[in-house]
Amino acid sequence: MLSKIKTFFISFFSSLKLTIVLLLIIAIASILGTVIPQGTGIGSLGKLSPGALKTFKFFQLFDVYHSIWFLMLMALLSLNLIVCSLKNAPAAWKRFSIIPSPDRSRPFENLPSDRILTIKRGKDQVISSIENFLLKKYKRVKKKESDEITFLYGEKGAFSHFGVYIIHASILVIIAGVIVGSLMGFEGVMNIPEGESTNAAHLRRHSEVKKFDFTVKCNTFSIEYYSNGMPKEYRSNLSFIKNNKVAFQGPLLVNHPITFQDIRFYQANYGQIPGGKAHIAVTKDNEQPNILTAVREDSFHFKEENATITIKKIEKDFMNMGPAVLIAAQTPDVKVNFWVFKNIKRLQSVIPGLFEKFPKFNPGRFKPFNFTLNEIEDMYYTGIQLSHDPGVPIVAAGSFIIIFGIFITFFSSHRKIWIRVQDMEDKIKISVAGTSSKDPVALQREIGYILKNIKNELGEA
Amino acid sequence: MIINTVILSWVTFIYFLSAIFYTLKMVTGRNFPGIIATYISLFGLIVQTIALILRWIESYRLGIGHAPLSNLYESLIFFAWVIVLLYLIIEWRIKSRNLGAFIIPFAFISMAYASFSPDVKSRIQPLIPALQSNWLISHVITSFLGYAAFTIAFGLALMYFLKGREKSTSPGFFFKMLPGKDILDELSYQSIVMGFIFLTLGIITGSVWAYSAWGSYWSWDPKETWSLITWLIYATILHSRFVRGWRGRRMAIMSIIGFASVLFTYFGVNYLPGLHSYF
Repeated sequence: MLSKIKTFFISFFSSLKLTIVLLLIIAIASILGTVIPQGTGIGSLGKLSPGALKTFKFFQLFDVYHSIWFLMLMALLSLNLIVCSLKNAPAAWKRFSIIPSPDRSRPFENLPSDRILTIKRGKDQVISSIENFLLKKYKRVKKKESDEITFLYGEKGAFSHFGVYIIHASILVIIAGVIVGSLMGFEGVMNIPEGESTNAAHLRRHSEVKKFDFTVKCNTFSIEYYSNGMPKEYRSNLSFIKNNKVAFQGPLLVNHPITFQDIRFYQANYGQIPGGKAHIAVTKDNEQPNILTAVREDSFHFKEENATITIKKIEKDFMNMGPAVLIAAQTPDVKVNFWVFKNIKRLQSVIPGLFEKFPKFNPGRFKPFNFTLNEIEDMYYTGIQLSHDPGVPIVAAGSFIIIFGIFITFFSSHRKIWIRVQDMEDKIKISVAGTSSKDPVALQREIGYILKNIKNELGEA
Repeated sequence: MIINTVILSWVTFIYFLSAIFYTLKMVTGRNFPGIIATYISLFGLIVQTIALILRWIESYRLGIGHAPLSNLYESLIFFAWVIVLLYLIIEWRIKSRNLGAFIIPFAFISMAYASFSPDVKSRIQPLIPALQSNWLISHVITSFLGYAAFTIAFGLALMYFLKGREKSTSPGFFFKMLPGKDILDELSYQSIVMGFIFLTLGIITGSVWAYSAWGSYWSWDPKETWSLITWLIYATILHSRFVRGWRGRRMAIMSIIGFASVLFTYFGVNYLPGLHSYF
């Protein structure tokens, strides 16, 4: 009974029918995944009836490639590959390792006449010449001599029997790498406004937040354009800060990820925060103005006066009076808050005696400084994608092996060559026969080459 | 219009002419039109190569230098170039001009679509950041070698069906000129193997690139997914041939299904949202 089950199990899981059915089902499932919006696209399916929506959700059709049934298909395919390979491997090993006896007559049956050569040479000379040739070009060369007939055998490409198994094994390696990656790796995103930093990322799965033991700071973000307006470069200047020290600093560009602590960071997208950045000119007495570029909560210190100013607010349009920033300024003795308007001249002309009525609107309130708001700019945030995937080296290894396996499978064949040397009184008859595991055309070409070589070697046309 | 696109639109007509002469060769059974067809295609290939080089140089002159493989127009042109190149190699190896009538038209169609469709912009565009990678060239070349090989297999499958309509009692002249079924089957198998190898390489180079551009070697982007679907279909074809010994008609049918998948991988996914939006 048990052996019956075992036989059934093996024959079921090693069958090519199963492979083909699985490959086709996986193909169809993949098509579903490209037709049904995945993940975030659920919203666009608003037309679906509640019942249909429930069914779609039940079958995880909004996340086909991570659904349980898709993983089951992959598991079945892996099992299919393993059982099939294990079942057929011994036969392949046999084909690889068995060396046929050199004195077989079957290969020479119905041999076309162009594969037979007769020459007038000494038998020993002919045999040693052929043997040398075989030893040079072939492996596992064998010889069987008798009085009248000598057989020689050589082969090459026996390894080609393993090509298919190498491909199958490499697919298993790739699947293993994918599993390692999905179990031990993570993918996430972090959006960082210019000048700010974060130590957390939103993970793609389960909408978790992951905290790191380091902080990523976006110093600046910039976009460069071609003259026709197409984007040329997205660049985030990042600092990776660990234990209050900058551990790594550098630009992050598309196609040039940064790896930090085994996590790869990618420039994925960007966005704008309206009115996030202010350019403020600070003048003191009649000195040259000092231009500050600030985002909210930026502080500046003036040594001479022991004064500190902090940008508390940046408003694109404050109370319908245009762009303005709120500055908190303090020295050990004084502490004042005041607004600096970009259009201060116009405001003064519209509202005479503005500073007397509203001292808070006087940009010269913090003496001896005078402030001017030059410009408020939109600020960028950089969208960084990050991933940690320990499965990558495994997948990469699998990809290398699959190429290797494909080349062995399609470009090599197990060629066996038999050469029979017969002593015919005054001349020697040489017959060359062969078999090939595939590619009979190449075998013919090869036999032609051998015959030509023997002719050249023994100097007789 | 820039000179290279003008030359490339001429090449369209050169391939059209070549297709006509290959068809003449097949219909009349004379060798002469075939020889002319070969020289015309070779001439077209050389002119196209020159135009591609000019385009490449022109892009540097515009200060945005990159290989001409970066948008739909350039990919269609390159597709045609690879088809003609592969075809001429096959013609030279099998020493027969009977396949041209079924293969060169694909190069012509691709060129015509690129040159005359209002949807295909022929201007040289600069590379957006995602395309600025050394992997662009190897990914596009391997992928299109794969596409072209599958296209040739499709042309051979069509010939196979045509040959199947031949009446055994009094075969028409036209049918006589078609290569034998066994030859068609073998050539189609070899094309599929070639396409499969290059598709595999195309997928691998693509995932290496994606690993440095998109944050993951595999994102289930529609084009990625459809390339996998195509790969699975051709893997099925190869298995049924190796293990089940499927030949001839069945192979031809599957080759046509595979080609439909290739076409969808190439064009169809543009109608699905995804990351490969520039092709």
